[in-house]
Amino acid sequence: MHLLTGLVIVVMAAALVRAVAPGKPILTALGGGIAAAALLVAFHQDLAGTDFWAGTIGFLAILSALIVVIHPNPMVSVLSLILNLICLALFYLMLQAQTLAILQVIVYAGAIMVLFVFVIMLLNLRAEEGLRIGRGVQRWGAIAGGIGFATLVLWALRHRQGHAWMEPGRHAGEFGTAASLGGLLFGQYVFATEAASVLLIAAMVGAVLLAKRRLE
Amino acid sequence: MDPRLPALLLESTAKIALIFFVNLTAIAYLTWLERRVSAWIQDRRGPNRVGPFGLLQPLADGVKFIFKEAITPPQAHVVLYLLAPVIIFVPAMATFAVIPFGPSLEILGRTIPLHVADVDSGVLVILGLSSLGVYGIALAGWSSNNKYSLLGGLRSSAQLISYEMALGFAVVGVLMATGSLRLTDVVTHQMQYGWNILWQLPGFLIFLIAAFAETNRLPFDLPEAESELVAGYHTEYSGMRFSMFYMAEYANMITASALAVTMYLGGYHVPGLHLLNLPPNVAAIVQVAAFTAKTAFFLFVYVWVRWTLPRFRYDQLMNIGWKGLLPLALAHILWVAFLILMEWA
Repeated sequence: MHLLTGLVIVVMAAALVRAVAPGKPILTALGGGIAAAALLVAFHQDLAGTDFWAGTIGFLAILSALIVVIHPNPMVSVLSLILNLICLALFYLMLQAQTLAILQVIVYAGAIMVLFVFVIMLLNLRAEEGLRIGRGVQRWGAIAGGIGFATLVLWALRHRQGHAWMEPGRHAGEFGTAASLGGLLFGQYVFATEAASVLLIAAMVGAVLLAKRRLE
Repeated sequence: MDPRLPALLLESTAKIALIFFVNLTAIAYLTWLERRVSAWIQDRRGPNRVGPFGLLQPLADGVKFIFKEAITPPQAHVVLYLLAPVIIFVPAMATFAVIPFGPSLEILGRTIPLHVADVDSGVLVILGLSSLGVYGIALAGWSSNNKYSLLGGLRSSAQLISYEMALGFAVVGVLMATGSLRLTDVVTHQMQYGWNILWQLPGFLIFLIAAFAETNRLPFDLPEAESELVAGYHTEYSGMRFSMFYMAEYANMITASALAVTMYLGGYHVPGLHLLNLPPNVAAIVQVAAFTAKTAFFLFVYVWVRWTLPRFRYDQLMNIGWKGLLPLALAHILWVAFLILMEWA
């Protein structure tokens, strides 16, 4: 768990270096490498205790997330984002949430990311085109947001002890099957589910209307 | 380690190897079938020189593909260009894992179920994996750095997304009747209550049309469209890499046919087989043969349709998908729900 936190910080460090010095991959790699080495030294005891698959998939997830941020080619970035979403699906699978895992693949990796690929192909973006990081507000906003998120994650991990929902193995048997998930969605949470679907349809109609108005 | 684990691993590995072998052989002989049937439809002879009835033609084709020069265009994005055929081929082969192709065999006191994985949400696994195949096509088109490839890739990804919806909604009817996403449950339900095609014919037809579009076969082979786009997304590919796109197409055809059989034609069910009182293993083998025969029939339909119908125009394709099939599939869901509610089904 600490190792994963550490790697999240690596991403943050890399994003920070990239934001401060855009277009300098060596500096980014160096910054990321130093942060990784520091964390490896700091958390080497946790490293030995990490579950093999959790460690491997976690590493893949962090690596792909890093590539999304750092790589200059937009298509490679999008592909690493797909890999990252698949890693997330594997995490769901490890937590026994099998239906959620496959839905994650269908909805995010299969449907939403296709639109990303589609846009990149339509605009025919090449390396570093249109993906330059903004100056001023955007850059400093990203840095502040990154630091804030890292602090939040660290704080959450520091205070995680003593919470029942953090203990593994509390769910078993029917948990995570399509039947139990469907029972929850259309039983206990039916109002939220239907409200979300109405909201999505309203958003879709609104988007079509806005796009059409601009055409005329 | 669990003492049952080695036997389980051996069993699973054997089944995976068997499916892999059978599927690859079937893919090879589908190319032969395609050429022979097209020749028969067009009153020609087709390949008949290599071996009896030209049966060794796929072997000769394979050798030819391996020895052809594998060209990489200088302007291509090399990594993605090499990765694209793999991305399209792997999901095409992997989807077969959740399809039950028979009941179970009794060998040495072990009951061996005849499917690789009986996943709780098996239908979703198939839809999810096949939706990943789009990236292979899109990437092949983009990484080749060729305008024909790019246009072919764009068209194809649009087509696949459009028809995925109709395919998914058509399947919902079957799933509502079964009450489970597990494919073995779908088959056993049909064994008890009769094949789904008998009372869900519109759903079956929508499924079949959408499956044609999903596998990029005529009349929906717009990604390829040799008359306007040279060869679409695989214009720049040659040798074994080119053949991988074709192998993926045929693998997708096999999975789509097997899925159609499982969802609507009772899977491996043979009506009246239990009346013969065969020994369980013999009955199982008969049922596997029945499953194979049903799937082979659908594969023949694929080839038959390809050499019968002309290609749609792109706007016609989109109109059929979004304005025809999708509303029909939704109406069909309502109809099936009504039947289930009235307890007529």
